[in-house]
Amino acid sequence: MIRDITLGQYYDVNSVIHRADPRVKIISTLLFITELFIVDDFKGLGICALALAAVVTLSKVPLGFILRGMKPILFILTFTFVLNIFMTDGEVLLKLWFLKITKEGRYLAGFMASRLILLIVGSSLLTFTTKPINLTDGIEKLLAPLKVFKVPTHEIAMMMSIALRFIPTLIEETDKIMKAQQARGADFESGNIIQRGKALIPILVPLFISAFQIAQDLAMAMEARCYRGGKGRTRMHEMTLSYMDFLGLILSLMFLALIIFERIYL
Amino acid sequence: MNINRTTKKIAIAAIIAAIYAALTVAVAPLSYGVMQLRISEAMTILPAFTPMAIPGLFIGAAISNVLSPVGIIDVILGSGASLIAAGLSYLLRDKKWLVPLPPVIVNALVIGPMLYYYYGVDFSLIACILWVGLGQLAVCYGAGIPLMKILEKYRNYFED
Repeated sequence: MIRDITLGQYYDVNSVIHRADPRVKIISTLLFITELFIVDDFKGLGICALALAAVVTLSKVPLGFILRGMKPILFILTFTFVLNIFMTDGEVLLKLWFLKITKEGRYLAGFMASRLILLIVGSSLLTFTTKPINLTDGIEKLLAPLKVFKVPTHEIAMMMSIALRFIPTLIEETDKIMKAQQARGADFESGNIIQRGKALIPILVPLFISAFQIAQDLAMAMEARCYRGGKGRTRMHEMTLSYMDFLGLILSLMFLALIIFERIYL
Repeated sequence: MNINRTTKKIAIAAIIAAIYAALTVAVAPLSYGVMQLRISEAMTILPAFTPMAIPGLFIGAAISNVLSPVGIIDVILGSGASLIAAGLSYLLRDKKWLVPLPPVIVNALVIGPMLYYYYGVDFSLIACILWVGLGQLAVCYGAGIPLMKILEKYRNYFED
């Protein structure tokens, strides 16, 4: 159950996309996802696919790596495809026993599957090219306007970066607890779903206790390093927008305009 | 040494988030998609013990959802759902059997439609909602209630 997980699947290579400001990347990804839901035919999807291909090439992330990331969703992709192809009404093309494949079903299944692939590759590209810590910095800066509504954006970003830092530690802790319990005769491998659920309790309870001790020590360490919250807090590398970042943002917005144009007029 | 209460609160919330994310990712791909079964959702009973579980679960869900196939939409909607559910669970903290109810209902009503529209399945919207709800019910009540009963003994750890 416990595996060596590299959270975020960051692919370490130097590319113009990797160097881009995380805020621009987050906004561009959100725009791209919106655009995929604006287009309604294969022409639109094709334009989006070309744009994505260009960005993937610029990012220097190998295609093999990206395709491997698609493995987890292969099941849901097939499930969606099969469901759409057999359950859409319309002009029947093929009849297999009680199942029918319609022209509309074939189009819909193809469209939905293609869109899903583009959605996942597009979203994954964000995590492939942005380190989790830079992502949280980007999110903190983007959420900053919410400070006007008394939303504690600094505290939220702080919690996010601490959580990211501690995930590997807690996975290790969970592994330790599992082994300790197994040495005392606990069984996590066998049993039906209810028995396996119950078997989680001897892991979760010590994990929580241990985690709270970690939290206590962490708070003390932060205080000892004079952590006083977000007021007047500076960082080692301040995020600045370069010309390339502005260019990227403008290109993203122009692409959005193009997609809207395509949807309405073409 | 007297630790500032806010620093300790941030630390507790962050660690809860880390546990949630670690547990969700550990059982991927079961944690994502239309047939969700996130064991980390058993942690949705934590708001009954500490209010810091509210931001904790929100951030834990946000981190887990960054890796979701649904991507950034799940980060916004899924985490938002977790936040609302955690808040409601906190409000219901005195009624033990109702604590796991908000994550079941809120997640079913938010994530069900989200998955329906995202995956574009020409299936019933009600089916998607019910499916998520069922998965949540199994974990939140099936694992959550026993967990809550056992953690009662350790309530002092959560007190500030």
